[in-house]
Amino acid sequence: MSRKIILVAALGILFVMFFLSMEEMEDLFKNDAKLYFFEHGLDDTGSSNLITAILLDYRLFDSLFEAGILLVAVFGVIWISRHDFEERNAHFMLDKYKTPELFVTLSRFVFPLLLMLGFFIILNGHLTPGGGFQGGAVVATAILLLYYINLERKTDISLIVAVVKFAYLGIVLTASISLITRGEIFTNFMAVDAPTMSKYIYIIALDILIGINVALCLWAIFTAFLKEGR
Amino acid sequence: MNPVLTFIVVLIGLYGLATSKNIIKSVFCVTIIESGVILLFLNFANYEGGAIPIVSEDVAAIVDPLPHALMITTIVIGSAVTALALIICIKVFHHYGSTEWAQILRREDVK
Amino acid sequence: MNDLMWIDIIAYVLQFMLIAIAVVVVLQKNNSTIVLLVVAFSLVVSGLYVINHAPDVAIAEVAIGAAIIPLIYVISISRQREFIVLDRAMDDFIISNNDFTGIGYVLLKRFTDYYHLELNICNDPGLCSWEAGPDKVICEKTNVDLIVSRDEEKGVYQLKGKESSLLMTKLAQMAEDYDDIEVHTFTERGFGE
Repeated sequence: MSRKIILVAALGILFVMFFLSMEEMEDLFKNDAKLYFFEHGLDDTGSSNLITAILLDYRLFDSLFEAGILLVAVFGVIWISRHDFEERNAHFMLDKYKTPELFVTLSRFVFPLLLMLGFFIILNGHLTPGGGFQGGAVVATAILLLYYINLERKTDISLIVAVVKFAYLGIVLTASISLITRGEIFTNFMAVDAPTMSKYIYIIALDILIGINVALCLWAIFTAFLKEGR
Repeated sequence: MNPVLTFIVVLIGLYGLATSKNIIKSVFCVTIIESGVILLFLNFANYEGGAIPIVSEDVAAIVDPLPHALMITTIVIGSAVTALALIICIKVFHHYGSTEWAQILRREDVK
Repeated sequence: MNDLMWIDIIAYVLQFMLIAIAVVVVLQKNNSTIVLLVVAFSLVVSGLYVINHAPDVAIAEVAIGAAIIPLIYVISISRQREFIVLDRAMDDFIISNNDFTGIGYVLLKRFTDYYHLELNICNDPGLCSWEAGPDKVICEKTNVDLIVSRDEEKGVYQLKGKESSLLMTKLAQMAEDYDDIEVHTFTERGFGE
C-alpha cells in the first residue's frame, strides 16, 4: 500500500512540473520552420501535402530507418516464432464454425473497396492526407480480410520477406539517385529548378515503394501470429 | 483542446504500467502512453486559425507539419514494438506456464 | 464562431471519454475486455487527431491501431488460455470409445479447470509418430506443453513437461493419487539462451 502512495505522489509531482512548464511548451512549434515549409514546401518538393514533403524529402533519413525498423521487427517476430517442424496441420485459429456467415459475406463486399482506398491513399500522397505508410497499413488491413474469406488460405512468409527485402533496397536506391543527378544524397532526383509537375514522379515512386514495404511487413507480422500456436 | 487532460491520460498509463500484474496488461498500458504522447505533441502544434498542412490557394496559415511527420513514425514503430512484445509474451507463457509478473519473478532460476 | 464552439465541446467530450477508457483499462482484470476497450481508445484518439488538424496521423492510427494491433492482441490472449497436450500414447488413456472419457482426460480436465485453461489435445499423426523425434526435441521446438506417452516395460503412463513451467508442480501433486501415472520433467535450456 505504501508503494502505491509513493507512486501516486511521484505522478503528482510529474503533473505539477508539467503544469508549470506548459506555457513554455506552447511556443515550441510556433517558429520560423512552419513559415518556411508553407512558403517553400511546394516548390522544393513538388508535394502540396507538407507531411509527405517532410517524410519523403526533408527528413527522408528518418523514414528510411522507420521502414528499416519495421523490417527488423518482422525478422524478430519470425525468428522468435520459428518452428523447425513441417507444419502439416497448421490451420489457423479462425475456425469455420466460429466465423459468422454475415461477416464473411460482408468481408467479400468490403475487400475490394478497402484495397481501392489503400491504393488511392498511396497514389495521392502528395495531394490529399495520406501517403506510403498510411496506405500500406490500409492495404494490409484489406489483405487481413482475405483470411476470413478463405479460411484454408496458406501463405509463404519467406516469399513475403524476400519481396520486402527487395522493396527496401528499392527505397534506398531510389533515394540515392539524387547523388548522381543533384550531387546530394537522399532528396528529390529531379533538378532543383524543374517544374513542380515533374517532381511528382519522385514522390509517387517512393510512396509506392514505401507502401509495398509497410503492407508486406504488416502482412508478414500477422501471418506469423496466425501461425503461432500449433 | 486542453493539454492538461491529455497529460492525465499519460499519467494513468504510467500508473497502470507500474501496478499491472499481467504482462499483456503492461503492453496495453504502453499503447495508452504512446497514444497520449502523440496527442500531446499534436495539441501543442495546433493553434486557433491554423489549417490542415496542405498547401492550396485559399489557406492563409497552417499548423506545423513537422510534429505530424514525426508522429506517423511513432505509430508505425509502436506497432512493431507491440508485435515483438506480444510474440515474446506467447513464448514466456509456454516456457513458464504463467504470464503473471509475480509468479515468474518468484522462481529462483530467473533471478 | 458557432462552429468553433461546437468543435470545442466535442473535443472536451472526447477527451473525458479518453480518460474514462484509460481508467477502465487500468482497473479491468479481464484481458479480453481490454482488447475491445483499446479499439475504442484508438477510435476516440483518432477523432481527436482530426480535431487537432492532423488527418494523416488519424489515418495511420485507424488503420494500425484499430485493425491490426487488436488482432495480434486477440491471438496472443487466446494462446495464453490453452494447455496443449500431445497424445503419443495412442490408446484408451485419453480417448476411449471415441469419446473423451479416459482416465487421463479426467485428470487433465480437472487440472486445466483449476487454472481456468482450455484443454487442447493434439493427436496430429505427423507429430505423434516416433519419426518426428524424441519428446524433448519436440517440446523444445514446438509450443506443446505436455506430452503423454506409455512406458511398456513398467506399464505406466508418463506425462512429460517442461521443468521451468509452474504448472508442472501442481500437476505432479494431482497425479500422486494415481498409481499408473508418472510425471516427468526435463530441463530445457533457459529462456533467451
